[in-house]
Parts: sequence; C-alpha cells; structure tokens
Amino acid sequence: MLYLDLTLQGLIQGSMYALIAVGLTLVYGLLRILHVAHAGLFTLGAYIAVTVTNAAGSLLLAALVAVPLVGLAGMAIYRLLYEPIMHRPPFVALIASIGLFICMEEGFRLVFGPYGNSFGLSPVEGSVQLGALSMQTVEAATIVAAFGLLGALAVFAGRTRIGVAWRATVTDPEMARSFGIDTVKVRYLNFFIGSALAAVAGILVALLNNFVEPTMGSVPSYKMLAIIVLGGLGNVKGTLVASLALGVMESFGTIYAGHIMDRDAIAFLFLVAVLMVRPQGLFGKA
Amino acid sequence: MRFGGLLLGSLVAAATTLAGTAQAADTIKIGFNAPLTGFAAADGKSALTGAELAVEQANADGGVNGKQIELVVYDDGAKPDQAVPVAKKMIGQDKVAVGVSGSYSGSTRAAAQVFQDSGVPYISAYAVHPDITRAGPFVFRTSFVGEVQGRAGAKLVGDMLGKKRVVLITLQNDFGKSLAAGFKEKAGDYGIEIVNEYQYSIKDRQFGPIVSKVAADKPEAIYATGYFFTAAPLVKQLRAKGVDAPVIGQEGYDSDKFLEIAGKAAEGVIITTSLDRDSDQPETKQFISAFEKKAGFGADMVAASGHTAIKVAVAAMRKLNGDVSDPAKLRDAIAATENLTASTGSISFNPLGEVMKAVQVQVVRDGAWHRHSVIDDTALLAPPSQ
Repeated sequence: MLYLDLTLQGLIQGSMYALIAVGLTLVYGLLRILHVAHAGLFTLGAYIAVTVTNAAGSLLLAALVAVPLVGLAGMAIYRLLYEPIMHRPPFVALIASIGLFICMEEGFRLVFGPYGNSFGLSPVEGSVQLGALSMQTVEAATIVAAFGLLGALAVFAGRTRIGVAWRATVTDPEMARSFGIDTVKVRYLNFFIGSALAAVAGILVALLNNFVEPTMGSVPSYKMLAIIVLGGLGNVKGTLVASLALGVMESFGTIYAGHIMDRDAIAFLFLVAVLMVRPQGLFGKA
Repeated sequence: MRFGGLLLGSLVAAATTLAGTAQAADTIKIGFNAPLTGFAAADGKSALTGAELAVEQANADGGVNGKQIELVVYDDGAKPDQAVPVAKKMIGQDKVAVGVSGSYSGSTRAAAQVFQDSGVPYISAYAVHPDITRAGPFVFRTSFVGEVQGRAGAKLVGDMLGKKRVVLITLQNDFGKSLAAGFKEKAGDYGIEIVNEYQYSIKDRQFGPIVSKVAADKPEAIYATGYFFTAAPLVKQLRAKGVDAPVIGQEGYDSDKFLEIAGKAAEGVIITTSLDRDSDQPETKQFISAFEKKAGFGADMVAASGHTAIKVAVAAMRKLNGDVSDPAKLRDAIAATENLTASTGSISFNPLGEVMKAVQVQVVRDGAWHRHSVIDDTALLAPPSQ
C-alpha cells in the first residue's frame, strides 16, 4: 500500500515536471537553445494566477488570464532575447537565458515583495479517493493536466496542418521553408505553447503549496535540463517518460535514501546512471 | 535656464549637506548585514525592519549621549562569500562601532570571523550555528543556539504534551540539523521513541512522499524543523492527507506568513520561539504594536531578534557614554549586559557570548499565534560555554 502511495506521489511530481519540461524540450528541438528562463515563466504563471484570483475571486478567470499571458511572454522572450543572437554560438543564448532568469527572479521580488504570496481563500480543497489511495484534488488535477495537455499536443502535432508544419520545421528548417512554411511563425507558436504549459504547471504548484515565491523557479530551472537530456533532447514523449521516471525515483529516494542524499542528488545520480548506459537519453536517436 | 541653475544649485547644496553629515563625528555607525535578495529575502526584510525600528526608537530617545545612531545596511544574500567583503567594508570603510547580523548561519559565521580578526564587536540576531560565537570573544548571539531550542522541543513533546512516538522531519541545513540534534540528545530523558526521521532540502515545497510515509508511521507527534516557507506547505500537505498528529515546530515557523500559507491547517501547531505574542511585558507589547505600524504586517521572531540585537548594542554604547573609540571597551560593555529587557526577553550573556533567556512556546489558535507556555529550565537551556 505504501509503495503504491509512493508511486502515485512520484507520478504527481513527475506530471508537474513534464508540464514544465515540455516547453524546454520544444524550444531545444527547434532552436537548439537551452531556455533556462522558461522556469521564470513558470513562476510568472503562478504569480498572475494568485494575483488575479485574489483580486477577482475566480480561479478560472485567473487561469484564463495567466495561461495566454505567459504564452505571450514566452513569445516576447524569443523576439527580444533570442532572435537577435540566433547567429551567435549556442552558449551565448544560454548565458543570456540564465541572465534573464535571474533578472526575472529579482523582478518578482521587487514587484510582489520578498515574502511570497498565497491565495486568500484556498480555491481548491478536498481530496479524491482511488480505492484505498487518496490524493488531494489538486494532485489529481496535475496528473490529468499533464496527460491531457500533452496528449492534446501530440494530436495537434500529428494531425493538424500547423502541427505538420511545426514538425517539418523541427526536422529540417531549410526544407520546410522551401515548401512555403513560415518558420518564424512556427517559432512563435512553439514558444507560446511551451510557455502556456509552464503557466499551467505554475498554477498547479501555487495551488498545491498555497505559496508562490520569487525563487520558486530555481529548482525547475536546472532539473528540467536533466529531464530533457534524460528524455533525449527535443523528444516530447521521452520528456514525459523521463519526468515520470524521475518523479518516482525521487519519491522512493526521498524516503529510503533521503538520509544519504537529497532529492536533487538522487535525480542527478539517476541521470548519470542512465546516461552511462544510453548517452543519447532514453528516447534519443543514437 | 533659470530653473536649471536653481536645480543645479540645490543639487550642490544637497551634496554638500550630505558630505557634511557623512563627515560629522556626531553619529555612531552600526553595521547591519542581512539577506535582502535571494531565497532568504523575506527574513532579511523582517530583520532589517526590526533593526531600523530599534534605531529610530533609540534616536528618538536621545541617541547615545546626544549622538545619533546610523544603521549601515548591506545585503549578504545569506551567502558566506558575499558576507566577507560586506564585513570588511563595514569595518574598513564605514568604520562601524559594532556589527549586527540579521542573516542566516552561513553568512553570519563568515562575517563573525572577519569582525573577530579586526577586533570589532559583532552580534548575531538569530543565526543558530554553534560555531558563530566560537569565532572569538568579540562575537555575541542574542538568540538560541539550535541545540538549545531542540532540547526545549524534546521537553515540550515528551514531558509537557506527553507524546512518546515521534517522527522527525528534518531540514537538511545547519538550522534543521542542530535543532534535531538537540531534540535527539534529550529525547531519551523524556521517554520519547523516535520512530523515523526524514530529511528534506531547503528548496523542497512538495512533501508528497514524506507525507505518505508519515501517514503510514502513525506517530503521536511530528517534530518538523523548517522555515515558514517550507513548514507551511508541509503542514498543509500533512493535514490534507489526514495526518492529525500535533506538529511541533520552532522559531523558523514564527511568522504571520506561516498562518497565511497554511490557513486552517495551521491550527494547533505549536512552536518554540523567542517572541511571546501574549506577553504582558510593556517592552514586548510596545515592540509588537510599533513594528506592525512601521512594517504594515505582524511582528515575527526575526524582526524581534533584529530589534533585540540593536538594543543590546545601543545599551552597551550608552554605558560608555557614547565613547566608542575603543572597540575592546565596547566588547566588554556588551559582555556585561545583564537582564536587559528586550522584545525577546531578558538578555544576559554567558562567557562564550551566548544569550541566556527563557524559551517561549506559542500555539496557533483562531488563526493567530498565542502563548502556550514558557520553558525556563536553566539547566536544560544552558547554552555551550566554550
């Protein structure tokens, strides 16, 4: 029973990771940029959700505001930060991204204060019973959101014309352009979707902890890198599987190895172990 | 043109006035380092506001023999590598008479060594690491060493609450570890059986696996170390899982923010701390209301500790009639502090510079911190003396 419970907790945590990491892997797949500032967008989503909910009293409205706004913010980051330095070596964009992330963290602190924000009244209470297992409603929502949204993303990429254009651009931008695909539009779309998913994750974390703080993106900022490497860079399905595997590893690790090393150490040990066997990641092409 | 000239003129005037005050010898400087940016910025802001309040009150009360006190504030980000240059700057450039740390253990330890090596007194407001005062005789602490408060926690759980099967959830840093060490040291004396101990890192906010395991452990009480930003999500998640054993915390919980984040789940949480919200001491009552007025939010342990540390420094300087030219004399005056009434209790130091005072036990009732009890067992609370 306990093992089932721990597995479930791992899947919840993994779903959270997946929602954040997918945006990162999408950006990497398209532009070969390690978009660290993505974790700042996750925090931004959480802050907008708390602020709007507290002002207007509606979580739904807050989500409807936060998700597209953060998507737009992601597009703005592409336009203002990455596009001007696209022709430079990739580490330039990485350093710029880390710089932006630090600026965002301090920006949140200046705008929203150092103390962190909470929902005045917890908008989602209660728990879901699954046989003998119980979890909070928000936790259940996290799993549903991760599978639902990533499933929808797969359908979108596989079945729609825009999705096909998107995949074509990822595979071969030159060829895609010669077929008349507007690759710049594809990039904007890419940033919008990835950032919007990060906002969803931000809202769920805000609800789960009832706490949003300026530095809440700091752990995701580096753990996401481990996940997308683990999943095979640029691979969405791999990212989902890697997130869930990491979540479950961490869940058991916290209980049975927590006195030796902390959660992050367990995660990175797992990463190293996998990379020794499969240097291209779980689902990457060798 | 005329306007421009006027503006320029007033700027020059302002600059000369500023330079004038900077050079004047009628102010005494107190250095203050705190984390104003980064993960600990919330505590830094509380500590700074408490310290500023103490300085304002002292200045309104005539300063130190007519000399005004000036607080020289630096951000150390709670990082040791940032604290060292800050400490050197306070001593070398600002020529502070005394330094006060409103920061965490890592940075306070680093800065304490610099102050000790330069022979300038340094007071730690709320950092818990035992080695801070061991930097040397110029370093003092106005709050509890972690172990001391941990021992008080063991008495509270095993003796006063009568809970014997206990799970420890320990924050993996000097704060959590030293508290847990003190708790474990005395647990046997009060018949406490430690069923399990789980560790978490300061970055954790989601405790799903630990909560599941604690639910399976079915303890009578949970001794969880942490700060409000880790403990409030933890308590909330424990209660959501249906774990209703009492949660015992420490001064790291001591903030209105804890109540806000944990909401209803906070009810019944008991902590050991140094600020008594229901105190009938005029000093403490007055501090709580003055702080709320200045800050716009409720007083917390960190704020009271910053306030207390400054008060100790000012009292020592007044004893010397404002003559702070000899740091060794100022050190002696601080060491001789005896039963000084401050917002966190009555302050005296032992030979190592550790404070000797009672532990306040507070409980959350109806959404607010209230007095639960006071632990003043001097043998139990004796801080290390060397």
